[in-house]
Amino acid sequence: MLKVEEIEVRYSGVPVIHDVSFHVNGGELISIVGANGSGKTTVLKTVAGTLHPTKGSMEFENEDISASTTVEIVRKGITYVPEERRIFGPLSVEENLKLGAYIVNDREEMEKSLDYVYGLFPILKTRWKQLGGTLSGGEQQMLAIGRGLMSRPKLLMLDEPSLGLMPKLVDEMLEAVATLKKEGNTILLVEQNVREALEMADRGYVLQTGRTIHEGTGQELLETDIVKRAFLGL
Amino acid sequence: MRTLRDAFSFGDLPLVERIGFAIFIMFCTLFPWVTKGSFDQAVMIQFLIFCLYGLGWNLIGGYGGQVALGQAKNVGMSAYTVALLMVWWDIPFWLSTPLGVVVATIESFVLGYFLFRLRGHYFAIATIAVSLVWQQLFINWDLIGGARGVELPLKETPNFLYMQFASPIYYHYFAFLLVLAAILYMNWFRKSRLGYQLRSITSNEEVAESLGINAHWVKVKAYCITGVFAGMGGAFYTVYYNYIDPFSVMHLELSVMIALMTMIGGAGSMWGPIIGAMILIPLDRYLGAWLGGSGIIGVDFMIYALMVMIISAYEPKGIWGIIEKVRARR
Repeated sequence: MLKVEEIEVRYSGVPVIHDVSFHVNGGELISIVGANGSGKTTVLKTVAGTLHPTKGSMEFENEDISASTTVEIVRKGITYVPEERRIFGPLSVEENLKLGAYIVNDREEMEKSLDYVYGLFPILKTRWKQLGGTLSGGEQQMLAIGRGLMSRPKLLMLDEPSLGLMPKLVDEMLEAVATLKKEGNTILLVEQNVREALEMADRGYVLQTGRTIHEGTGQELLETDIVKRAFLGL
Repeated sequence: MRTLRDAFSFGDLPLVERIGFAIFIMFCTLFPWVTKGSFDQAVMIQFLIFCLYGLGWNLIGGYGGQVALGQAKNVGMSAYTVALLMVWWDIPFWLSTPLGVVVATIESFVLGYFLFRLRGHYFAIATIAVSLVWQQLFINWDLIGGARGVELPLKETPNFLYMQFASPIYYHYFAFLLVLAAILYMNWFRKSRLGYQLRSITSNEEVAESLGINAHWVKVKAYCITGVFAGMGGAFYTVYYNYIDPFSVMHLELSVMIALMTMIGGAGSMWGPIIGAMILIPLDRYLGAWLGGSGIIGVDFMIYALMVMIISAYEPKGIWGIIEKVRARR
């Protein structure tokens, strides 16, 4: 579905991603793990079209997207849920969600998506009129993911969904991600909870200073030295 | 149908706001019958014109969060179109006004298309620069009157087609109708798709784009609508004063006044621009008349500046922000 090959990405001329390759098949949950600064978020932002690769290629459903704008990429079916729960504070929960369905023109289709999201996160339904900024951290994260789902993306990219949440909520959040996968969504996940992220993933990639240094099934990666040493403290 | 219902339904607003709106309507309706002073009536009409400007500016400046300081040139272009068409070819107000509005909107579109590549302060500065260029152009362009301005030919009898009336009452009600239409539009707007898009961009542009919202295009659209409001105001201004020059309708001071008024009242809120106009316009006119006569010039500007400082230091959301805070505390 998504195929990224040997991309290089620069921030104002300075390369931060040197050589990253990975692919995502339909229905898979793929985890990208790596230390802080290894370029995980940059990779997601590049796929989302906020940044563009200076080398290498990116294909989505056999179409080149390396030069596409954010808007074009969303229309093709890739949604990026940014880290730190960037929801629209001054808008209500339902308004936030409806904006997520911005590219859906059909009102009925939108209502269906709304029901789907409310089914997934019932707490959002009870808070529908509340302003986004007044929600708790966990609720804001649910809202951010829900908003991402509103356009019914073919590929959902989640950037650190458990960042800054209390431990109980972290588990809940990761369970929600697992549920999403079970329901047939294709997910590209960047997570700091390496063990959980790899356990639930079909496959995973390890990034180090802007390069993919390992790939394999979640279980395989959990047994590699680098993951054991660097992330699991074994 | 849905559009109409949204425009006319104020049901989701708190009771206090609906009562306030009703009082506003009653006040504006009865005003010309209660007061007979021509100065008071003139101030009232100016208040209504500024309400119109402010309600329009609130779209891009309030909901859109883009500090555009060039409303005067849209006002001016529409005003000049209406005035020149009337002077050159004797074209009535009702035909020239749509043209004037179109000219103002096209200017908004072209300018917005290029300037919205800039952000924040750079955008604000660019709008100021363009306004200054336009004003200089109008001052030095002899064909359209240059610095002398344009005077409308007066008809011998009051004429509805050319909006020339003997009594200010007619102007008052026409301006009031325009403001009412603008309020209905804003009431629709805040519930519309465009309204949500614009607010999402103000809240976080990057995230809005990640949802597929074309921020540049949405801003251009909002800027065009702001241009329509300014154009309407400019057209009315022309027939009300029967005289325009580059200093009255193209001046940067007007642009700043519109923005300031909306910010003091509360940018990004439904009633903010009206509250701002309600305070600043009478303050400006009465204080100017009172102090200007006594030889103390500039005190009104000092009072302005003081208000701006207080507002920006304590409540960036303006007077409406203060009202909402008080409300939240209860």
